[in-house]
Amino acid sequence: MEGFLPWYWCVFWFVLSLPVVAYGVIQIKKVTEKHPESKPLLAVSGAFVFILSSLKLPSVTGSCSHPTGTGLGAVLFGPAIASVLGAIVLVFQAILLAHGGLTTLGANIFSMGIVGPVIAWLVYKGVKKAGMSSLLGVFLAASLADLMTYVTTAIQLSLAFPIPTFTAAFSNFIWIFAITQIPLAIAEGLLTVVIFDYIMKLRPDILENLNVIIPKVKEKVQAVV
Amino acid sequence: MFDNVLDNYAHSNNLKDANTYFKVLFVISTMVMNLISTSPVIPLIITFFMSFLIIFEAKIPLKFYLKFLLIVPVSFGLLTFIFMSIFFGVGSHILEFGIFNLAITSDGFNLGFLVFARMLGGFSCLAFLALTTPTNEMFTVLEHLKIPKIVIELAMLIYRYIFVFLNEAVNMYHAQETRLGYHNMKKAYKSMGMLASNLFIRTWIRGEQAYQAMESRCYTGSINTMRSKDSAKTIGLKNILFLLMFEGFLILGVYFTANFRLF
Repeated sequence: MEGFLPWYWCVFWFVLSLPVVAYGVIQIKKVTEKHPESKPLLAVSGAFVFILSSLKLPSVTGSCSHPTGTGLGAVLFGPAIASVLGAIVLVFQAILLAHGGLTTLGANIFSMGIVGPVIAWLVYKGVKKAGMSSLLGVFLAASLADLMTYVTTAIQLSLAFPIPTFTAAFSNFIWIFAITQIPLAIAEGLLTVVIFDYIMKLRPDILENLNVIIPKVKEKVQAVV
Repeated sequence: MFDNVLDNYAHSNNLKDANTYFKVLFVISTMVMNLISTSPVIPLIITFFMSFLIIFEAKIPLKFYLKFLLIVPVSFGLLTFIFMSIFFGVGSHILEFGIFNLAITSDGFNLGFLVFARMLGGFSCLAFLALTTPTNEMFTVLEHLKIPKIVIELAMLIYRYIFVFLNEAVNMYHAQETRLGYHNMKKAYKSMGMLASNLFIRTWIRGEQAYQAMESRCYTGSINTMRSKDSAKTIGLKNILFLLMFEGFLILGVYFTANFRLF
């Protein structure tokens, strides 16, 4: 939320997020130069993340939440590109919906656009490596990414307001987030699984092009030809 | 659930023809003043001034501004205010509840009030920018700030597709709702998942079609657009003087009210 953080923390989070986003921009440049058809695809995916984050999701506590959508983005495109898309979406949320904020943009990019996607990607790769189903991986990736986003936010808040001490403030913030966010994280995980499952059933070729699932079908086709 | 009225106002308000660079400069410098202030006085002045500009200069309907824009930050801010005044103090107690040893302390109250005021101030600045500046004009400013071209192109495409997909999402949502798709929680999850995944597949098809359309029109890797007529040079002396006077007034205010406390 705009104006929440003191100015030195705004600057600090901007400085921390910029290199990661810059790295993502270089990645995107490379990809689009190699495959020019990927530019419109990246754009529609960014728009998709924006729409996803403006959907309301019913949750166990009776409240509503907005899915962050970063988990899905990271599993599909990798953390670097997901962080750039996340940054653009956050800017649009600020100037189209007046959600979030411009001065707190650095902090938001760090928690939602960097920590979330990196966690999601690591968890997804880890689960795949352990040989478990990719749906479980998607569930864990999306819900842990959501949870870690809010843990990061709690850390950011208690660093900004370390009163009386950092740990005391942190335990206060984390309690509030634990009550409200754990059900929401599970909700986002479930929703992402449903989305992923449908895409896998209806258009598996998209996921194969993205190298998300092992292209079994393609091998069969090639064997027949 | 899916309101895009904010963008409509950005294209039809009374200040849409004011110089974009001036508006951006004005909002950013006021935001900085709002952030560096150590007392709640300046942020509250900013809130009132920005709201005045939004309602009387940009002629945004008062009802819309209050209903859509003020409810969320005020309620969120009040929650933070209460939370901070109870848990974030080590100073003298100014009000004791008598249960659980909870009390409002003067430190916590002052901090909570400062953060509340800053949130309102920052929010009103952001609302001013969001309500008076068409997004296409923002892209020109971003280009001037040397943001990489690929990011701006992506942002432009994303902006365009947000509204295309918003329409499709609303259609699907209403179709599902009329078929009782959201009447209990299990159904709601299934419907929402169907909506989102179908939307993803549709967005994908659209993306492929867009690429084919672009390629058949000689797309070489960059999208050329018309530039906005505004530039930093056409802000005008009157506006610059106003900006300097207003920010100077705020700086003086920040300096003189630095130690102001309610308790």
